Amino acid sequence: MGVRKKEPGRITLFFRRPDVEKVVGSIANLLKYAFFAFFMLLMYLPIFVIAIQSFNQSTGLIYQFNGFTFEHWMNVLTFDLDSSLAKAITTTLLVAVLATAISTVLGTLVAIGIHSLPKKKRQGMVFLNQVPILNADIITGISLMFVFKIVAELIPGVFGIPSLLVAHVFFCMPYVVLSILPKLAELDENLYDAALDLYCKPSAGIVKVIIPAIMPGILTGMLIAFTMSIDDFLISFFNAGQVNNLSIYIYGGYNRRLAPEVYAYNTILSTVIILGLVAMYVVSAAKKRAALKHDLRHA
Amino acid sequence: MNIKKLGKLALPYLVWMLVLVGIPLVMIFILSFMNTDGVSFVGATWTTAAWEKMFSFADPTNLKILGDTFLYALIATVICFLIGYPMAYIVARSPFSNKFVILILTIIPMWSNSLLRNVALKNILSETNILDNLLSRIGLSFSIAFANQDQATFISIIIGLVLTYLPFMILPIYTVIEKIDESLLEASMDLGANRVRTFAKVTFPLSMKGVTTGIIMVFLPCFSGFAIQKLLSSGTVYVLGSLIEANFIHDINFVSMLSIVILILIFGSMMIVAKVDKEGATLV
Repeated sequence: MGVRKKEPGRITLFFRRPDVEKVVGSIANLLKYAFFAFFMLLMYLPIFVIAIQSFNQSTGLIYQFNGFTFEHWMNVLTFDLDSSLAKAITTTLLVAVLATAISTVLGTLVAIGIHSLPKKKRQGMVFLNQVPILNADIITGISLMFVFKIVAELIPGVFGIPSLLVAHVFFCMPYVVLSILPKLAELDENLYDAALDLYCKPSAGIVKVIIPAIMPGILTGMLIAFTMSIDDFLISFFNAGQVNNLSIYIYGGYNRRLAPEVYAYNTILSTVIILGLVAMYVVSAAKKRAALKHDLRHA
Repeated sequence: MNIKKLGKLALPYLVWMLVLVGIPLVMIFILSFMNTDGVSFVGATWTTAAWEKMFSFADPTNLKILGDTFLYALIATVICFLIGYPMAYIVARSPFSNKFVILILTIIPMWSNSLLRNVALKNILSETNILDNLLSRIGLSFSIAFANQDQATFISIIIGLVLTYLPFMILPIYTVIEKIDESLLEASMDLGANRVRTFAKVTFPLSMKGVTTGIIMVFLPCFSGFAIQKLLSSGTVYVLGSLIEANFIHDINFVSMLSIVILILIFGSMMIVAKVDKEGATLV
């Protein structure tokens, strides 16, 4: 390419001059990232306050910092909490772990089933699967409450952990199905055929061939399910009976001071999740690098 | 193809969905026109009492609540869009090689309890707040002054809704912008469009699908929730969800009617946004 000569008589607009454009461009870039950083900061501000409160000595004054303490953290770690908070945390974690496990296992099988349907039926099921995701939580909550009210006529005592668990499986499973379906679309179906040709039972074929191939999707779904379950308020609110989960506990105390251990628990939990993710990310990056090195050496 | 035989695994899911989605929907519809005692139909009669309780011009309290609810949800959704779209765009078009990390940063707040985040926000928005208290020790101050209590309540609720649901706007929009084929943008520029025009005629129309999802994901919880509104107003603001909360134990018929109002809005908003999407697609 030849160097473009400046044409005589051609006027270059001031803001089109390369040097000006460069300056304007970098200012625009700066503003862009400042905009992004500002709203990120706003999103994190409440979390900073939660973290601060988890170290705040409790004197009843929540609008000021009364001094640094590890007490609330220790209370959470040794589970030395007042009984209503302890119950709320136990319920939340129990339901989240069970609902995640159940919806991951069932969701995986359902996703494989949906993927194997003929096109028309598959589209219908995919749409049906999206109903709980797109539906407002409050409608899901009331709907399930109606079902449990009928069930309660036959089986009293269904309201509580059982209803909570079914409700959580109900709204978690669609996320698992949804994150697995794209992975199934990438699956080479000949592998499953080959496994069956080699006298694998269908169940073994699923466990040994299909599931390893869609593992990333399963893990994503599992993470989303856990996140949704642990933070749920509305659906639990209508289906918990006399039981409280953490969200209901916090909501119930909207006009009074919360036990400071709530802040510590929340900070500990989110720290553990974030560290877990970072660890997973680092391990998978290291594995990729090792695999790449291996490939290069043997190339 | 042996895998086609696995379709039967989906059958129990169909039954499960029909029982937990289909039956309640029919029940909600029927119960809204009856006066039942809980879910027992013994001695119940058909009546439009629940509907009259809501749409009564003699006593517009509930209608006003409906209007307020809509207003809060609409304003929060518009603000979420105005902030969320540029944020999603900035991440998707950033030169950083590792967008995953930035994306995780937008998701991390979701691992803190959303109600607790709003409790903390309420603290931040109070005249004497913990941040101000900390900053005052190094000679700074941080306090938002509102003109009056009504304004404080209104703005607090909007900020609470926006900060809680912003990630739900950013993520779907990011996903679609990230997938837009860059050669389309190059083609647009080659054909003489400047960056603004390229954005208006190519990028934005192609991102409509994400915008649609984002708007639904933000508007619906803002419209149907009640906890954030109650927390941030200390129980002084009533929204549609508060009516459901107040009545769900004793007046199931009224609650069913309110659910239908929300269901109509769910359906309506999806239709409107789907229409906008279609027109957007023809612009390309």
